[in-house]
Amino acid sequence: MRSWVFFVGIRDRQISNTGLNLSLFVSGAETDIGGRDLLALVAQGKESAMDRCIKEYAPLVWSIVRRYVQNTSSAEDVVQETFIDLWRSAKRYDSSIATHTTFVGLLARRRAIDHTRKESRRPRLEPMPEGDSLNLASEGPNALMKCEREVVRQALAKLPEETREIFILHFDQGMTHPEIVEWTGLPLGTVKTRLRRGLIELRNQLRPANSPSNPQTPNS
Amino acid sequence: MTDQEIISRFEELDAGRILGDLDTGEMDEWEELARDPRCQSDLALELTAAALEAEFQDTNKIELPPGLLEELEKGTADFVVEKPSKKVEETVGEIPLWRKILSDKDTAWAIAALFAILFVAQTFVSDPSTSTPGPPSTQVSPEEASKTLVAEAKDLIRAPFEGGGDYKGMSGEVVWSDERQEGYMSLTNLPVNDPKSKQYQLWIVDPTRDEKPVDGGVFDIGLAEGTTVIPIRNPLVIRDPKAFVITLEQPGGVVVSKQEIVVAAANS
Repeated sequence: MRSWVFFVGIRDRQISNTGLNLSLFVSGAETDIGGRDLLALVAQGKESAMDRCIKEYAPLVWSIVRRYVQNTSSAEDVVQETFIDLWRSAKRYDSSIATHTTFVGLLARRRAIDHTRKESRRPRLEPMPEGDSLNLASEGPNALMKCEREVVRQALAKLPEETREIFILHFDQGMTHPEIVEWTGLPLGTVKTRLRRGLIELRNQLRPANSPSNPQTPNS
Repeated sequence: MTDQEIISRFEELDAGRILGDLDTGEMDEWEELARDPRCQSDLALELTAAALEAEFQDTNKIELPPGLLEELEKGTADFVVEKPSKKVEETVGEIPLWRKILSDKDTAWAIAALFAILFVAQTFVSDPSTSTPGPPSTQVSPEEASKTLVAEAKDLIRAPFEGGGDYKGMSGEVVWSDERQEGYMSLTNLPVNDPKSKQYQLWIVDPTRDEKPVDGGVFDIGLAEGTTVIPIRNPLVIRDPKAFVITLEQPGGVVVSKQEIVVAAANS
């Protein structure tokens, strides 16, 4: 924590005059190959870009999937399905709407949550959209998000204390709803409501102020 | 319910769907409302959940199951349109052959023994006066190269490093030339690192190139005293660096720094 504070200090003192958003702090090599967007190269079917994607994002995908899928073998299947989604949907990626990490994270969550639904005796549930149907470009300005790391943290910090605590337990500690209920002593309905409304509130904060869907936008 | 109430209810249910916590009754309600033209799922809500999810994952500590990476690579087969160049493929193709040979214990020992004999023979038999020296070494030490850069570069940038936290005692500077795409760091009193445990990594901030800092390479400090000169290895063209930041990372460096340990920064 001390180091993070120090880095923020450095930003304030020394780097802020660059006008940069350093919060993502991603190496150029992560997002680009020879100055070209990694996912754009994946969309073109370049094997080297796909290999690189696997190396960079497999730990993230595995980590997310494992939160939802306890069985190791099933989790491996879900990870593989997520990457198939990625190869199919890379052409729909729009860097002005989401970072690579958020995009990959979204695909991983979809696959993982779908898997848990199928496993939980709810055959009627409609699956979430396939990655192939994901089209960030068609979402237009409504989907524009500031998903950079520090912005997300700042938005989280603005949530009411009781909601933030549940978010930390769920997203950081990886607790399930029943575990949060046991930990906090809150009724399940309250936990669900706080998470849902908190997510909506965070979405509103992360949306640029000039987004037509932002409730804080004048005349929207 | 008013239109706004219906839309709000759908939004809350949609958040539940994205969080994966709808019960059966709520799912029925969501499905019914989803058919209502006034209610539309908002991708931004799902992106928010994904950003949160990704934010809290510490991927540096993740151990993948054995064989998963290989399986993922196999899974690209149906989507690959362009393979790496032939030259690379040939190089890659040679590795299994060598591995095959060396994986045979007897063969490996025989080769090792042969090299040992050749080495001993060369050491004791060859006449130094008749041996043909190789071309004079053209390798210049980083110290010398740095001095040359300082002396010759017309667009030289010099910036002092400032350590923070546990590294306040360090000092140093960075020299850089955009024209030459060459630069060096001179670092003093930076603690010796164990490369098997942690490595230093440089990040270059160039607002003209990208919003994101460029990986300037990992490096080690092997000397407890004195000054170490480290060449900057920029994989991408740097046009106008505004800052150089050193972090301490896992061996081999990272592509996404969590900035947990920021060692020093130099603002140009």
